[in-house]
Amino acid sequence: MPSIRVKVLFFGRLRELTGLAEEMGELPEGATLAQVFERYAERYPRLAGFRNSMVVSRNQEFAAWDTRVSAGDEIAFLPPVSGG
Amino acid sequence: MLGQFKVTAIEQDKFELVREVIDPEALVRLVRAGQDGAIVTFDGFVRNESHGRETSYLEYEAYESMALGKMKEIAAQMHEKFAIHRVAIVHRLGRLEIGETSVFIAVSAPHRGAAFDACRYAIDTLKRTVPIWKKEYFADGAVWAEGELPPTPPSAKSAS
Repeated sequence: MPSIRVKVLFFGRLRELTGLAEEMGELPEGATLAQVFERYAERYPRLAGFRNSMVVSRNQEFAAWDTRVSAGDEIAFLPPVSGG
Repeated sequence: MLGQFKVTAIEQDKFELVREVIDPEALVRLVRAGQDGAIVTFDGFVRNESHGRETSYLEYEAYESMALGKMKEIAAQMHEKFAIHRVAIVHRLGRLEIGETSVFIAVSAPHRGAAFDACRYAIDTLKRTVPIWKKEYFADGAVWAEGELPPTPPSAKSAS
């Protein structure tokens, strides 16, 4: 299956946990955001425990986990927000 | 009803993420105009305790480009929902000491009711939807503030 490149970002406690703020990731075409997360959870097993207390964005909009990614997308994993 | 009360558009509004001290007076001056009769402001600043623990300082970080986009969306919604004139929303990032302003919102309107309602809407929505995170530092450690999970769109299966 052809692969695509996307930008992946981590913030807050997720960034601390992975030690990764941003990287270019290579994914199979047609992957969903949930599958992107699973890949990172394999690499950073402690991430898995946060799956239900985080949201994901695609191109700077909150997105459903079954959204499919496209080449060049910017994907971010976001903990609960606490601005203000 | 939507749009019926629109006084002006978002072009005159201000959205910023800054690392310096916020100047509330400048923002109040910015939203104030002859056609207005009221300005309501919200000044959110760093409290000296959290859940009974004495706070040393806070650190804020943001997904900056998305946060600015969400702040702009909030202002657009405010113009739709309330008869307001101008909006300024500024959030500070980086290390903040006790008592320093982390977020300042100013809303001008011809009449006070809309300004009060819109300002409340702005801070409540910001706290729920803008990707900004706060880490609380104490004498003996640090924790990420609990925060709120932003509402997410429904499953993509029905969308494109």
